Amino acid sequence: MSGLSKSPWIIHYDASSCNGCDIEVLACLTPIFDVERLGVVNTGNPKHADIFLVTGAVNEQSRDVIRNIYNQMPEPKVVVAVGICASTGGIFRECYNISGGIDSVIPVDVYVPGCAARPEAIVDGVVQALGVLEQKHKDTQAAVSNMDNVLYLRAEKSDAPDILALQKTAGQCEAEVYNEENLPALQQTLGELQNDFDQAVFIKAVVNGKIIGSVRGQTRDDTALVSGISVHPYFQRHDIGRRLVEEVEKAFPNAKRFEAFTGQPNKRSLHLLGRAGYQEFKTEPFTPAITWVYLQKERQ
Amino acid sequence: MNSWIRILIYLVAAPIVGGLLAGWDRRISARMQSRQGPPIRQPFYDVQKLWSKQNIVVRRSQNFYIGFFLLMVIFTGALFFGGSDLLLVIFALTLAAIFFVLGAYKASSPYSFIGAERELIQIMAYEPMVLLTAIGMYMVTKSFAVNDIANHPTLLVLALPGVFLGFLYTLEIKFRKSPFDLSCSHHAHQELVRGITTEFSGRTLALIEIAHWYENVFLLGWVYLFFASMPVLGVAMSLFVFVFVILVDNVFARLKWQTAIRSAWIVAAVFGFGNILVLSLLSAKPAIPAAPAAAIAQPAASRTVPAAAATPALNNANVIAQRN
Repeated sequence: MSGLSKSPWIIHYDASSCNGCDIEVLACLTPIFDVERLGVVNTGNPKHADIFLVTGAVNEQSRDVIRNIYNQMPEPKVVVAVGICASTGGIFRECYNISGGIDSVIPVDVYVPGCAARPEAIVDGVVQALGVLEQKHKDTQAAVSNMDNVLYLRAEKSDAPDILALQKTAGQCEAEVYNEENLPALQQTLGELQNDFDQAVFIKAVVNGKIIGSVRGQTRDDTALVSGISVHPYFQRHDIGRRLVEEVEKAFPNAKRFEAFTGQPNKRSLHLLGRAGYQEFKTEPFTPAITWVYLQKERQ
Repeated sequence: MNSWIRILIYLVAAPIVGGLLAGWDRRISARMQSRQGPPIRQPFYDVQKLWSKQNIVVRRSQNFYIGFFLLMVIFTGALFFGGSDLLLVIFALTLAAIFFVLGAYKASSPYSFIGAERELIQIMAYEPMVLLTAIGMYMVTKSFAVNDIANHPTLLVLALPGVFLGFLYTLEIKFRKSPFDLSCSHHAHQELVRGITTEFSGRTLALIEIAHWYENVFLLGWVYLFFASMPVLGVAMSLFVFVFVILVDNVFARLKWQTAIRSAWIVAAVFGFGNILVLSLLSAKPAIPAAPAAAIAQPAASRTVPAAAATPALNNANVIAQRN
């Protein structure tokens, strides 16, 4: 028991809703529905929240806010799209400024359709979200207890969505280190990542069927470029990053030299590559805050 | 009862009692708003959940401060229930509050900053009255030691009605309830996001919750001290005060911080200081027999307080004895 399902704290955000669904969300807190009897608290603070209730479709203005709130929520977390606009874009779907439902920006776990969604449906959606929350927690716990049995495998193209999600979770920690939101790893889309599979080799670290780490390698002449080392925040500091680098090196038996790069303030990944035997040979400024550091290693 | 046993009971029972009180608080509030309300054990579920959440930090040291906040709150309560010096208890309490503020300052977020600043203002608002309460209790019992105050044969509240009212006002601030929930937005007001606790998540937030439980039990213990000669009445009044604070919380809107600090100081000056002034005027006439009484009380006090605390406490006692 984690108590997760007994104390769901909610943050509610209006992406571009007409306020119909928002009024219904707040109606859930009133004496008639009183969701507090289920332990629900409307926190208004992403760092305290477990469930992200979003109403309305995504437009240019709300996209960054949604992503920001989602990133600030501690794991495990669940997203509930309330109302048809949040679910699919609704009647605004074709508008020039609308990118679609909430799932066009962040992964959505529960969809509550309706225009406006009725309070009963919203309460039901929250209750279903609790199941998802509990499941996510169990998966992580099971993975943590199986830390010794990490499998390092060649990733398939079908793993791309999982790897993208991992890249974004891990990249977000990196963004905090750099204090820079526009990292290439965070900007990549699914399509771009799938295209990368044609040119690069991906290695995944798997625990209990869940991908917790990934790295990619690409050949250029005699050199293998190692990049995109991502490890899920829960599993960092367990030497998984170094093992991933080791595995990807094995995938290129003909390479004479390996090259990797990382950013200057990111001490953790510099340390990781240092332990894997890499040495710095070139730096290149990226933004005022970040300097890319290139590291290399000769095959022994 | 041995003071060590009392401390042990406090350490074990305070989080349980404090958590149940928090549960009742939410339940009673809900009933006052004609809602069903969460189960009584809800605060425990909350803490259990927070314990299994990811801990996101801006700076790692912010959690360190919160750990110390919890430690100091527990230390405060242990001193109090161990029957130690009331002044030392107040210093430890203030130190705890300061660590909480430092933790919030450490997380450089504007909401956290505003929360921290308002918490400091609240400390400024309640501190005079808390000190006057200790002084008032000394005036009646001639001792700062909680043991001596608790064993005093008369009902303290009869001699200190003004101080009691002032202390009640302080409790409204200490419990972070409306009209004084300035630093930490509970309930639905979210203009400060979550104020002082905005940047804390996961286990750290759970530690803050637990610290509040310890703190609340300690504060209600202090209410009990006013009625210590009649234990049943004391417990009943502690619970009544708790319900009263909840009622006030549900009845009042939030005050501006300027009003909060001004009103708190006026209450401290009128009720607290006025009460003490009257006491000192009344006890001024039999000044000659009162002096030896104080002299007897002092060694009794020094026996129970730790050696380090004895000196300032005695100095303070002398100052007040001279004033008498």
